[in-house]
Amino acid sequence: MARAGGITNAVNVGIAVQADWENREFISHISLNVRRLFEFLVQFEATTKSKLASLNEKLDVLERRLELLEVQVSTASANPSLFST
Amino acid sequence: MMAVPVEEAIAALSTFSLEDEQPEVQGPGVWISTERGATDSPVEYSDVSAYRLSLSEDTKALNQLNALIQEGKEMASVLYTYRSCVKALPQLPDSMKQSQADLYLETYQVLDLEMSRLREIQRWQASASSKLAADMQRFSRPERRINGPSISHLWSMLKLLDVLVQLDHLKNAKASIPNDFSWYKRTFTQVSGQWQDTDSMREELDDLQIFLSTRWAILLNLHVEMFRVNNVEDILQVLIVFVVESLELDFALLFPERHVLLRVLPVLVVLATSSEKDSESLYKRVKINRLINIFKNDAVIPAFPDLHLSPAAIMKELTTYFQKFSSQTRLLTLPAPHELPLREAQDYQRHYLIINHIGVIRAEHDDFTVRFASAMNQLLLLKSTDGSDVDWSKEVKGNMYDMIVEGFQLLSRWTARIWEQCAWKFSRPCKDVTNVELHDSSASFSDYEKVVRCNYTTEERRALVELVSYIKSVGSMMQRCDTLVADALWETIHAEVQDFVQNTLATMLKTSFRKKKDLSRILSDMRTLSADWMANTNKSESELQSSQHGGEESKGSFFYPRAVAPTAAQVHCLQFLIYEVVSGGNLRRPGGLFGNSASEIPVNDLKQLETFFYKLGFFLHILDYTVTVATLTDLGFLWFREFYLESSRVIQFPIECSLPWMLVDCVLESPNSGLLESVLMPFDVYNDSAQQALVVLKQRFLYDEIEAEVDHGFDIFVSKLCETIFTYHKSWAASELLDPSFCFTSDNAEKYAVQPMRFNMLLKMTKVKLLGRTINLRSLITERMNKVFRENLEFLFDRFECQDLCAIVELEKLLDVLKHAHELLSRYLSIDYFSLMLNEMQENISLVSFSSRLASQIWSEMQSDFLPNFILCNTTQRFIRSTKVTPLQKPSIPSAKPNFYCGTQDLNSAHQSFARLHSGFFGIPHMFSIARLLGSRSLPWLIRALLDHISNKITLIEPMITGLQESLPKTIGLLPFDGGVTACVRLVKENLNWGTKSELKAEVLRGIKEIGSVLYWMGLLDIVLIETDTMHFMQTAPWLGLVPGADGQILNAHDGGDSPVVSLFKSTTAAMVSSPGCPNPNSFHIMAKQAEAADLLYKANLNTGSVLEYALAFTSAALDKYCSKWSAVPKTGFIDITTTKDFYRIYSGLQIGYLEASVQVPANSHERLGDSVAWGGCTIIYLLGQQLHFELFDFSYQILNIAEVEAASVVQTNKNPHFLVQGWDALLEAMKKARRLNNHVFSMLKARCPLEEKTACAIKQSGAPLHRIKFENTVSAFETLPQKGA
Repeated sequence: MARAGGITNAVNVGIAVQADWENREFISHISLNVRRLFEFLVQFEATTKSKLASLNEKLDVLERRLELLEVQVSTASANPSLFST
Repeated sequence: MMAVPVEEAIAALSTFSLEDEQPEVQGPGVWISTERGATDSPVEYSDVSAYRLSLSEDTKALNQLNALIQEGKEMASVLYTYRSCVKALPQLPDSMKQSQADLYLETYQVLDLEMSRLREIQRWQASASSKLAADMQRFSRPERRINGPSISHLWSMLKLLDVLVQLDHLKNAKASIPNDFSWYKRTFTQVSGQWQDTDSMREELDDLQIFLSTRWAILLNLHVEMFRVNNVEDILQVLIVFVVESLELDFALLFPERHVLLRVLPVLVVLATSSEKDSESLYKRVKINRLINIFKNDAVIPAFPDLHLSPAAIMKELTTYFQKFSSQTRLLTLPAPHELPLREAQDYQRHYLIINHIGVIRAEHDDFTVRFASAMNQLLLLKSTDGSDVDWSKEVKGNMYDMIVEGFQLLSRWTARIWEQCAWKFSRPCKDVTNVELHDSSASFSDYEKVVRCNYTTEERRALVELVSYIKSVGSMMQRCDTLVADALWETIHAEVQDFVQNTLATMLKTSFRKKKDLSRILSDMRTLSADWMANTNKSESELQSSQHGGEESKGSFFYPRAVAPTAAQVHCLQFLIYEVVSGGNLRRPGGLFGNSASEIPVNDLKQLETFFYKLGFFLHILDYTVTVATLTDLGFLWFREFYLESSRVIQFPIECSLPWMLVDCVLESPNSGLLESVLMPFDVYNDSAQQALVVLKQRFLYDEIEAEVDHGFDIFVSKLCETIFTYHKSWAASELLDPSFCFTSDNAEKYAVQPMRFNMLLKMTKVKLLGRTINLRSLITERMNKVFRENLEFLFDRFECQDLCAIVELEKLLDVLKHAHELLSRYLSIDYFSLMLNEMQENISLVSFSSRLASQIWSEMQSDFLPNFILCNTTQRFIRSTKVTPLQKPSIPSAKPNFYCGTQDLNSAHQSFARLHSGFFGIPHMFSIARLLGSRSLPWLIRALLDHISNKITLIEPMITGLQESLPKTIGLLPFDGGVTACVRLVKENLNWGTKSELKAEVLRGIKEIGSVLYWMGLLDIVLIETDTMHFMQTAPWLGLVPGADGQILNAHDGGDSPVVSLFKSTTAAMVSSPGCPNPNSFHIMAKQAEAADLLYKANLNTGSVLEYALAFTSAALDKYCSKWSAVPKTGFIDITTTKDFYRIYSGLQIGYLEASVQVPANSHERLGDSVAWGGCTIIYLLGQQLHFELFDFSYQILNIAEVEAASVVQTNKNPHFLVQGWDALLEAMKKARRLNNHVFSMLKARCPLEEKTACAIKQSGAPLHRIKFENTVSAFETLPQKGA
């Protein structure tokens, strides 16, 4: 019966595997942190966007009020005679 | 620069505050850019050879199969998204028949492109089948020269088989393909006439035709390929055993894999039993009951989004092609879904419908989210603690790992439920369409509507929404913490693997495997290729010792945590080796994979190996975290309906038939608001669908269709949502404003209560992620709200303009409701100020115009309707519409949705019943409404307009009065007493010979009536304003330090000093500033200054005058011009009795005239004039200084005197008292009434406009009165007084 081949050079493989674990630790460490950095940027963008959105909302309200005030002022300044007395 | 460790730098980022207050009410919504993850083995197992397990043949075969699977999936999506071209082909009109050949050529070219794809599929399946068969044959040779097949290899075989089965199934289902092909063939014969050498092409065509028109052609072909050599039974049996055991264990499988296994199992069984050899060997290894159980448990299996498979049906159909299989009666008697007896169908229904499980799912979800969050918190705590305990750290991370595994399993189960429910629904279309509550029941329904639109009840839709939102929210929760948990997961997996290979295997090697050299070699190989002996040796010594101490007690050896997971190749090799251990490398070994009692391995060890084996399978899913989450939460299939599109012969279904939209709609329409926060979840389904269309199916047109539907759907969604929000707030406001005592006494007050709804989460959404776009839902809603409030205002004003003045109370009420709704909504949404919108809609923005839309409407209404048509009742203080005048033609009242009134129908009718109470008259409540609605801004404008009206009226009646004066006789003496009442009345009639001037008379009376009405109206306004002012005064007086004095004068309580409000603020400021801790003294100074300003402003506002007095003064000034005409100075210097033509004389005549008319039997003139004539007439008389003259010489007064005397004399002579005055009762009564009324008016006038003072102050020529109250701010009103005719 032919059993599965078995590792031909077990010692060398063992050493290589050990080295591989260490190398991969470094790689996964770096890649995870790069991903975290990326995630931070994404989140930062999202937060900034929503902060800008709320700022925009406030500006919108102000703008509309300002528009109204401008109209009011223009109606008043169109009739300067009213203020002469 | 100093180098900073990466970890620290990243950790520093967490000091940024990244809260954005966005509620989690939508799905992950990310466009997953799926990089090939660990499960895909990015390097195609090329690192397997490094482990020197002689697996190179196996790896090569594996990669070949994987490549084929990839290609096959693409073929399948080509086939699935295939849409018939024939329908789009143009037909030539008769006039262009000569170009028929050209058309054929063009058609041929178009179709050829499509057909070449089908040809490619045909070729591909042939090669794939032969490769798969060859692969199976190669790896199942009993004499085995090569290692394999590994478990991954088995999986690849199954997956490729699945692809082939799916492709076959799809080919069978798509009717348009043979249809298109026959067109193609026809055009080919037309076109190819001139071509040479078409034989080979024709042959190829015939081939393709056979392929396309034969059912299960691919499977038959595969069968032929497989059984070329007669030794695939073994591997088929192994595959079946593997499938059955995996399905029965159901631990390591996520739903996509489970569905693959379920789909291939019936086909495998058919193939295995169709061979020449006796098929009973299969049932020796796998009991037939196990198979039947599996087939029965899953009667329908999803294959494509709108296409399902049924094992029973497939097996039945395949018997015609595989004769041998027809003997398997037990498998063939399984009923297909459409043949199920009613009872069993109901059992399945119970199993498949989510609604029957939603309670359990809800509990699972709640429990899981809580525990997941707590595991996350523990992990965060661990990360923020320095030098934490190793055991604790391991426990926390292990717990996190467990939670992730559980999460994946939950998601997999839930999503599978949706898939399976869909498949079940597709297999059982709604039969009784009319039952479904659809409004357009007359229309016939397409098949797709029968399986989707009509097939889900409201409850089922709600359950589906709930489940979708659970999947999406758990999914996004897990997606978000990806990088946070990654190292913990790696570490835990690392520990698991190391624990197994370093401890468990060591124990096994020492005990049960000591004697078995072959097996122990394999075990030590497993150790060699995955053990990490020197992990984390950089830990400090002390830590090492302490942890080692704990480790030694429980375990044989200790290993150190390392946040690195095994590679896919390592997992692959470990699984292969375990399989080698348990199977002994012999495919023919009887029994199952692990369930082998005849094995030489002790049961206990076998169990451990089995557990680890399946765990290894699951590790890959965990390592491939984001991809797994994305796969498990992908609900894009809910949108796709390519199969039904084809069978229904339409281009696309309307949005109402689309399942994601149905879910959105269901949430919006549902009266229960519990699901409202999940309304965005179904939109994430569109994200998934779009992603699938682009990445999986790779079809641009599908994406375009999805995008179009999303655009359309989102628009409807926003408008419906806004409608709901508006209606809700409107009814909330209306129910709050409803009279509490009314609600208390109402029998069913509940119907006026509003069910609370939670919108605030939705209202916070500034970023809704939709097809890669970010939509600011909040601003969209704000925009629409601003619009709808304006529309509502516009509508209310329009409505008022179509009604009479009495509707002002209703208008105010409705405006109040709207304003309150605005207030309630403003808590969550920053919409425009209500006053701003009101001003805008009232056209009242300008600073220099004081009229407003409402004021001018009221004014024009008064002019055209109120003053001429309403009559005053002095007793009730009300004006009512005269019954004698024909009502004015008005435009019909516009109608609108209930939410433009008070929200719901019930609230509308409640409020309307209040409004109706005020719709029939005009009185104090109306005046209050006018005063409140117009405010101090437009009210003066209206007053001014009314005063002008008085002055105009006076000018108007002046010539008429002159006319009446002219036709008076030269002299009218005092009425003689001797004639009695009858004679007097006759005498008066003779004297007042105005017979020809009756028109003039009526006109003058109308004028006087209108003047009187205006003055009375002013009186009402005065009452209202005084009440308002008093209220105002009561509120401000204590702050201003005002106290009422003895004679009604207002006194200052503080002499010369500051008022209470000022001194309060001053002392506070002083105290604050003097204290050393005051941060900002300046602001307190400012506040104190502001208090002074407020003091001044409020004081200045206190002495407002009386509108009525002002109106009287104005009228008096207006009359001054006519003084000479209406109040001639007697030439003699004595009172002129007989020849006078003063106003009072005219009015006397008019009064007696209309009194007489009023007592005539069809009484009408009073109905037309009311009490305001007396108000008008008496006021003019009074202001002309003729009150005493009038009281002395008025005809009716004189008659009354005579009647009194007469009555007295009658009593004295004891005669019948009714003898003489008989017949005059009614007239005398009317005269008395008139006298009483006149007296009332005169006394009021004396009180409000004392004549002595008037004469003392006089009115200037300019019209400006110098009165005890100075109207300094309104002087301009007099200066611009239209002195008509002056």
